Parts: sequence; structure tokens; C-alpha cells
Amino acid sequence: MSTSVFYHQFERHANGEGVNAHSTTYCPGCGHGLAQKFLAEAINELGVQDRTVLVSPVGCSVFSYYYFDVGNTQAPHGRAPAVAIGHKTANPDSIVICYQGDGDLASIGLAEIVSTAQLGIPITVIFVNNAIYGMTGGQMAPTTLIGQRTTTTPKGRTLLAGQPLKMAELISGLDGPVYVERVALYDNRRRTHAKRSIKKALELQVAGTGFAFVEVLSECPVHLGLEPEAAEDWVRDNMVPIFPLGVKKDTTDGAAFPVIPTARFDPEAALTAVGATTERPPRFAEEFPTHIDPEDISFKLAGSGGDGAQTAAMILTRSAINEGYDSTHIPSYGPESRGGTSYADVHVALKEVMSPAAPRPHVLVAFNAPSLAKFGPTVRPGGLVIYDSSVISARPDDLATEVRTVPVPFTGVAAELGAALVKNVVALGALQGATKVFPEETFLTAIRATLKQKCAMIPINEEAFKLGAKLAGEQVC
Amino acid sequence: MTRVAERPKPFVVPEYCKGCGRCITSCTKACITMGTEINPETGLIPIVLDLSQCNGCGLCFDACPEPYGLRPQGEEAAFELLDPSTVLGPRPFDAPQPEPRPDTSVPLPEREPLIVKGTYAAAVGAVLAGCRHVFGYPITPSTEGAELMARVLPELDGVFIQAVSEVATVNMMYGAGGAGKRCMTFTSSPGFSLMLEGISYMIGAEVPAVFVNVMRGGPGLGNIGPEQADIKLVCRGLGHGNTHAIVLAPATPQEMLDIAMLSFELAFKYRNPVVVVGDGYLGQMTGKVRLPRRMVEPGIPEWAVFGDHSHRGNLICSLNLSELGLEQHNVHLNEKYERMTAEEQRADLYRCDDAEILLVACNTPAQLAKGAIKELRDKGLKVGLFRPITLWPFPIEALRTLLDRVKRLVVVEASSGQLEDELRLALSHADVLPPPLSHVRRMGGILPSQDEIIEHVLGLEEVR
Repeated sequence: MSTSVFYHQFERHANGEGVNAHSTTYCPGCGHGLAQKFLAEAINELGVQDRTVLVSPVGCSVFSYYYFDVGNTQAPHGRAPAVAIGHKTANPDSIVICYQGDGDLASIGLAEIVSTAQLGIPITVIFVNNAIYGMTGGQMAPTTLIGQRTTTTPKGRTLLAGQPLKMAELISGLDGPVYVERVALYDNRRRTHAKRSIKKALELQVAGTGFAFVEVLSECPVHLGLEPEAAEDWVRDNMVPIFPLGVKKDTTDGAAFPVIPTARFDPEAALTAVGATTERPPRFAEEFPTHIDPEDISFKLAGSGGDGAQTAAMILTRSAINEGYDSTHIPSYGPESRGGTSYADVHVALKEVMSPAAPRPHVLVAFNAPSLAKFGPTVRPGGLVIYDSSVISARPDDLATEVRTVPVPFTGVAAELGAALVKNVVALGALQGATKVFPEETFLTAIRATLKQKCAMIPINEEAFKLGAKLAGEQVC
Repeated sequence: MTRVAERPKPFVVPEYCKGCGRCITSCTKACITMGTEINPETGLIPIVLDLSQCNGCGLCFDACPEPYGLRPQGEEAAFELLDPSTVLGPRPFDAPQPEPRPDTSVPLPEREPLIVKGTYAAAVGAVLAGCRHVFGYPITPSTEGAELMARVLPELDGVFIQAVSEVATVNMMYGAGGAGKRCMTFTSSPGFSLMLEGISYMIGAEVPAVFVNVMRGGPGLGNIGPEQADIKLVCRGLGHGNTHAIVLAPATPQEMLDIAMLSFELAFKYRNPVVVVGDGYLGQMTGKVRLPRRMVEPGIPEWAVFGDHSHRGNLICSLNLSELGLEQHNVHLNEKYERMTAEEQRADLYRCDDAEILLVACNTPAQLAKGAIKELRDKGLKVGLFRPITLWPFPIEALRTLLDRVKRLVVVEASSGQLEDELRLALSHADVLPPPLSHVRRMGGILPSQDEIIEHVLGLEEVR
């Protein structure tokens, strides 16, 4: 009847002056006023005014925040349910209400309402269906009846304009909602019932039960071209047969929605969650490998997808950082990265890596012939090419003469170990054996850290690494 | 019930009755009739009450669509506004004054550096900046951020929600940001395009949030290679209206973390979204990332629609039907943009002290440019790098001080000249006549290479 949930004075309405200070923007006889009155009374009766956040839609009820003395957010057209998710997860104690019309909810906002309903998060949706677009001036709504004239169906809606969308039935077909009902406002009995339904939908949120949806069949006398009383009759006689009233779904005795957590800000927990540790990896290198470059060494590891070039590159980067140097790894993009090939660029710098790309690598590790053909000529003079001699028969002709080659049978060694997957670790071993960029133990430590979750794989990887290092080392010495 | 006799009967203030007559049919005692006289205040014909038969059933109250239409008798006394002419006096909202709940800076114990990808580093920065609400829709090459948040946030009782679309994503942020929470998303170019509607609303309603856009090749679906072709969008096209947001362009995984933390500070300082742009290369780049020694435990801003007693009077809204009112709001927003322009320009200068040729680049191209500079310096050329960290506002003040000596500007970018346009606009607004300007550009998911930069510089007439 009366409630303090409405502002005493609608100050946001034309500065709250004169008659506007106490009158809504709704046309005479509009059902919005009733639905909002019932909603205000429910908020009042449940004592949740302070906790309530009302999400206003776009449409005739866009100005709901003029009237409701609660926290208010005005949402973009159709997006109220998504905005409501933001509010509800921001403060699980808040009582979040989406008040939406048929254009907002059933047309432009279909994806948001369906996905939010299916999520089942405890919010309350009041859906006002008056079968027409009010604010924009009487255009077809998704709920407009077949034969109904609107300004965009001037001869009446035909099947070519689609059939009226039955939102309560659609929403009730989802798993998420706990309560879906369609109510009306056209006589005393329906109004009393509508009031109860709206209150129930709100109670279910207060109790944390779940998502509740009340579709309210409402009158738009102005755009129906009817007097308010005739508009009530029109809803009863024309809308109700298409949009039957009643409870469409009620699973309120089932399991409640999970408790939405309230965020914690414990420093230790935050650091642990992002993977930070106090474990300082041991260092084995005595100095920066200046025998390769005084301050910045670049590597390219190139193969096909599945060769494990990226993992090997990552272990190399980890090894360098563990030794206290700067290092970067990027999976290589560019036109050459098409067709299932996989290239990795790694830099190891004494102080800071500048460019992370390796257009002229000191060291190339090639897992196949095309990679060697492509990148071999880019290796800088005095550089090193380590390649899989199981699949590449001989040193290509176009390599610069001052580039050394170290053939190691990555695939063959891995096959002998009975684990084809470890050929990249054989390659990594070969890289270490041929370059001595860091001691063996640096790499083995990084390999163990990488395989922390798969401890059983550590011995075979260590063996693969050592074999690769040995085979390459013998050639270099 | 013996209290029937006490049930209140209705009264009506004619000015608040729109004469819809819905109460007339609700009354079983025929107490209500349509009036005959037009109310001069409203131009409408209000109903007339004859309560001689009224039994106080109250059905008419539930039939009246107006909050202050038919009302129970007895409320007149409390309802001090019977006379519309008296409503003009000041009458503040009942809602209380929000209590300040400021952010707190919490010390962090020392930890070893992380070895992580750029996108991951941004996510870590966000967590340490107090972000516990992340919404997102998977799109390559930004998905690692969402994946990390989906794993990490539950451990901190935070929330990660995979939305039905980028459109829903940005609106979840509008809700959570409007509630005063630090929230963010990771997306990539096509997804960012979809978020523009919501970003315009957020700027209009002054809602802070952080968007990390790992730019990929476009237009359209394009490809997933690295490009910088959203610069125009983030600097000049954040949805409809007079919009701007601070745009930050990190260049290394470390900076992804540092800038993610800074972004939240700036977003809340100005009550405005902040956009972090990276390129696919940077997002995928693994490097060493040192952790800060402090983290943030956010409070609740006074303006937030948090959903509690203290914040009940607040409104998050971008609608303003009064043209003058909306103009005023735009003036207010523009003043913010001007403050951002004055206070938030950030740039990194690399070997600029004696530079005669200045490369201008951001994100990974800036790192490639550094690599090129090293080689060009070895050849004895005085080349430096001017790296805008804020793309908007463009750090023109830092650049201006260098221009006396600079004989040539070379913009290195992975777009058709969008960074160069920002540079030229900034120079023009600052009334600076720049030295000759040329560029190294790639498009389509390719970054300019170090060699292309070197080749371009060696071909300049200033060098030949």
C-alpha cells in the first residue's frame, strides 16, 4: 500500500519539481506502476531496502532509479542480467533485482537472460510483458501477438514477423532457475496474486535459494489504443490464451545455489596462488657464457608441432633465469609459422634481453630438414647448428663455412630409450654438450622442476639429456 | 478479524492521479468515479472518491499504478507534501552518507622471480592489485589470462565467470565495477570490438575496470598473429560519445605485471576504464618477472552501488535527458581527460641522450627496435628509442624535450600507421613542428623485424 522504498520525492525526475516529484513517467493505466509498487512493497516487507540493488533496463522503465530508494544501476539495453551478475558477485549479500521489459529481455537481451537463468545465480528478474515496444513508440515486440498491429507490423503481425516468444516457458525449460511464474494485473485477484509472486521471487533470493523469474502480463493502453479498462480486458482476452498464467517451474525445495565466496586478501595465499615460492634454485655456472657472446646469446629451436621445441626452449629459459641471468622465450610467429611448424626464439642476456626475436641466432637447433633449410643460413658467423641426424642426412650446402654443425640423432636416441617424446630433451642435451652454455646440472635441475608433476618421467628425461650432451660433446671437443 | 473497522480508507491528491480509472473497476462498493474536471496542474482528469460506502478493503490501493496516487488515510500527516507547491524546497534523499572504506597497502614477503608468459604476468599483477573479479570470453591469443584466473581466483575466494559473450563480459564488469570492485577481463581484438558498447557506458557512468587487449591481426576475424591495429580504437574509438581512457602499452612480461597493477590504481583514481594493449608476441613471451613487495587490499569507494546501507543513495547511470545536464557531464568528463593528459603521460627513453635518429615504438616492436639500436650503435649511429607507455594520453611532453637534437623520427609499428597518427596528432596539438618522419610498418599478424628497422635506418638520407 505504502512504502518508504519509493523516494519521498522523485528528485531525479526533472529535478523533482512540481507534480513530477511524486508522479511516475508512466502513461495513465500502465502496468509498470503496479509491478513496481508490488516490488517496492516486497522489498519493504522483507526488510532488504538497504541491501537492494535495482538494475534498470532500457525501455519505459528506464527511470526506475527515479523511484526506488535503493542502490541503483542503469544498464545498457538488454544487459541487465549480466550487470546483475557483476553486482551479485561483487557483494553476495546484496539483493539484486533486474526489472526488464519485453524488448529489453526477450529481444536484444536474450543471450544474457538465458545464460544468467541457466547459471541460476540468486537474482530476481521481473519481466514486464506488454506485447509492444512502449518507449520507442509502439513497434513490434518479440511478444507481440499474431495479428496485432504495431507501427512495424502495420497490417498485424504475421508469421513472417515471427511468433510471440513465451519467455516464462523458455526460462522454465532451463536447469538453473528455481522459480518461474507468469502473472497478470488485469483484476483484483490477479493483482493480489502478482504481489505474492513478486514477493516470493524476492524471498528466494534473500534465502539464497536461486534464480527466480516472474513474467508480468501488463497493459500498455496508449500503444494498444485502448482505454485502461479496455486494455485490462485485452490482456485477459488476447494475451492470456497465448501466455497462460501460472507457475511454470518451482524447484525451490531442491539444493540451493552454492555460496558465492567473499574475496580474501591474505598476502601469503595470494603469493602461493600465483605460484611464487621462496625456493631459490641452485646455481652451477661460475660466469656468463662469454665464450658464446659477451652479453646476449640468441637461440632458435625449430621443428614441427609435437617435436617439443617449445618445451625445450622453455627449459633453456628457465635454466638461464635460474642462473641469475635474464632470458626470454617466444613461440615464433610470422608467415613461416604456418603449417603446423613450431619455432622458438630464446635469448639469454647478462643484464637485459632487448629484442626477444632471434633473426640471427648464435645457435640453431633443427628438428627437421625444412627448419634447417629455412634457418640454417640465418645463423651468424661462428655460430652453431645442432640438427637431428636421424632425419637429416647431411650438412646443407648453403650454410656459411664458418658455421659449425653438430649432428646428433635426437629421434634415434629417443627411440632407443623407448620414449619418442623425449627427443626434445636429447636435443636440449645436445645443445648443452655442444655449447656448454651452462653446466649439465643447471639443465637437469630445470628439467626436474618442469616435471615436478610427473616425477616418474624424470629418470628417462635425465638419461635422454645426458646422452644428447655426450654425443654432442664428443664432436665439439 | 476484529480490526476490520480500522482498515484505512483511501484519499487522493488530485495532482498525483492520472485518471486512468483502474481503481474504479477494482472497487466493489462503487466508491470511485471518473471526475469531470480537468486538473489545471496536470491537464488530466482525476478520479473522485465518495467514501460513504467504503469498507476499507484496500483493493483500490493495489489497482493504482502511481506510488503517490491512492493512499491510505492517516498517511496525510506523515505525507507532508499534499500540496505540490510545497515540494520545491530542498528535500534530500533519505539515504545515508557513504562511509569511506579506503584501500590498504599490504606488505608482501619476498619471493623468487616468476618465470611466466606476459599474459600470465598481467594476471599476477591484477591479483596483487586486489582484483578478485574477472569476467571473460575465451579468444586467442589472450586466453591464458582467463585460464590462470579461473585457476587462481577460487583459491582466494574470488570469482571468475566465463560469460556468454564479450557483450555480457563487459556488462558483468559494469556491474562489479559499479559495485566498487576491482574487476578485469582479458580479450583480443574482435572481442574488444564487441565490448565497446559497454565501455562507452562505463565511461559515461564513471565505472572503473581494466581491459587487457592482446591485439591480433585484423580486420574481421583476421588471424591470431601479433598486430597493433587496435590503437586507433583504444585511443580514439571507445564506443559512442566523447570517450577516452588511459591506454597503457607494456613491452615485457615484467611490465605486464607492473602495468596491470598501475592500471587498477589509475582506473579508480579517475573512475574510468583503463585499457592495456599488448601484442600476441608479448602475451606469449616467457620471461623473468620480479614480484612487488606490496599488494593492495581494496576498500569500497564512496560512490559505489555496493548494496549496503551506507551506499544506498548511489546511482550508476549514463542516462541524462537534459541536454544542458549532459553537456555539463561531458564537460566534467573532459576535465578528467585533461587531468589525465596533464598527469599521466608516461614514456620510456632508451639511449635518447645523444640520439639524432629517434625510433618510436611500443609493445614488442619497441623491444625489436632496441635490438636494432644495439646493432646500429655498433655501426656508430646515434639512434635512440622513444617508447610511449601511455598511448593515450600520448607522452608528448617527454618527446618534446628530445626534438631539438633529433633529425629524424621513425615510427616502428605493426599497423597501417595508427601509432604514427597518435604521434602526429600529439605533435599537432602541441604546436610542434616535427623533424622528417618516416616509418617501418608491417600488418596482418607480422611484426616489423629487427632487420627491417636496421635496413630502413641505414637507408635514411640523414645516414647516407
